[in-house]
Amino acid sequence: MVHTFEVDGKYYLFDVESSALHECDALTAEVIKKMQGQPCFLEGADEEAVREIEADIAELKEKGLLFAERSDARPEKSEHLKALCLHICHDCNMRCAYCFASEGTYKGERQMMSFEVAKTAVDFLIANSGDRKILETDFFGGEPLMNLDVIKKTVAYARDEGKKHGKTFLFTLTTNGVLLNEETAKWLNDEMENVVMSLDGRKEVNDAIRKTVNGKGSFDYIIENFKRFVKLRGDKSYYVRGTFTNKNLDFGKDVEFIADLGFKEISVEPVVLPKGHPLAIPDEALPAIREEYRRLSKEYLKRKKEGRGFNFFHFVVDIEGGPCLSKRVNACGAGNEYLSVTPKGDLYPCHQFSDNPDFLMGNVFDGRINGEIRGIFKNSSLFTREKCDGCFARYHCSGGCAANNYNFNGNVNKPYEPTCEMMRSRLECALHVLAETRQ
Amino acid sequence: MTRIKTVAVPAKRNSVGCGECRSSCQSACKTSCTVGNQSCKKISREGKIEENK
Repeated sequence: MVHTFEVDGKYYLFDVESSALHECDALTAEVIKKMQGQPCFLEGADEEAVREIEADIAELKEKGLLFAERSDARPEKSEHLKALCLHICHDCNMRCAYCFASEGTYKGERQMMSFEVAKTAVDFLIANSGDRKILETDFFGGEPLMNLDVIKKTVAYARDEGKKHGKTFLFTLTTNGVLLNEETAKWLNDEMENVVMSLDGRKEVNDAIRKTVNGKGSFDYIIENFKRFVKLRGDKSYYVRGTFTNKNLDFGKDVEFIADLGFKEISVEPVVLPKGHPLAIPDEALPAIREEYRRLSKEYLKRKKEGRGFNFFHFVVDIEGGPCLSKRVNACGAGNEYLSVTPKGDLYPCHQFSDNPDFLMGNVFDGRINGEIRGIFKNSSLFTREKCDGCFARYHCSGGCAANNYNFNGNVNKPYEPTCEMMRSRLECALHVLAETRQ
Repeated sequence: MTRIKTVAVPAKRNSVGCGECRSSCQSACKTSCTVGNQSCKKISREGKIEENK
């Protein structure tokens, strides 16, 4: 299968099975469409030009870079745990209007994870990790920095235990920035492999949604903390991570604003909310979102050429050194190699399932994982998501987020079409960006 | 080749992974399942070894 598309006047061929990317002209795209039985426009086409195109196509086909055959490989999933998301704090010092975690409580009571639970979770991860050498732990909330003392003890404990068992721990923390003072920033920079900072962009956009417990906008409270943190961070990984809603469908301006503040690693994601919520993205907004991604890609390239470049998470695609087939079809690993742990030590497939008792998979203190629930996720992959069969983006999203699929369609194997549409828009832009930066 | 210009070709890679890459949700997305924009840790690490020779 070859996907033909155009961005900003440039035409491309994306060979889905090999992941090879080619640039072409409009006529070549039409010839490819014809070969695939798609509607095309070839009336009056120069016959000599069409013969040249057919010769090029034959050459690329021979090299396996166009119309490549689908692989028969069906990579098996490991049952060895790789990562835990520790809900180190089911409480938050902010009150964001779109919070999926119900202001940090996940529809439960406000509580902190004790060191005993965190320590047992680390032991549980090591014990269930088999021969894996690299293990990941994500400190998540609510707001994790409200429980910093336990985080520090947990990191020290995991490093010690990792050495004893031949494991290396990589830590990630997601924060709203309210408690990100200089001392904490230095500690995080020493210990965290990646830090995700939540900021939605322009002050008025951010403050309309991301409010403090007193109902005030949070921008002025956090922005200097984030700037100082990144200044101290050096070349270590971080992301400024925003969410866009129905209220800022011009979210590209928020990405640009964040870049203007000096941040270089930026991710802005569509909000996930039930249909009918005033902030949810309605289906009719999808064409505007597609255009906004395209506008952003143009500005993104312009800034790169001017030496003012930054990285937008979804516009960075690695064709040459991207993931193996196993990763591409098995996705994030939620519910199988990646689990979340609540402050009580309860296990769930991931943070997005943590308020759903139907997905309770066990507890770190009893050391067992519910095989029936794990089976749902272990047996789910790109190959069980039939809707993805004809989609050109399938090896880039693996059939979508299992939690989104379940929450919108009641089935982890049934992708939610609006997120598919956004994924396809982003991937076309990312491939265009890749081609343009190779010029 | 006169009409088509190849922009990028993937490295030859195994279908079964080493499992050393990050879990996708540990990166920046958290809600959009995005695996295609991750790099293979093995390829990037071996690339670094090549560069240092």
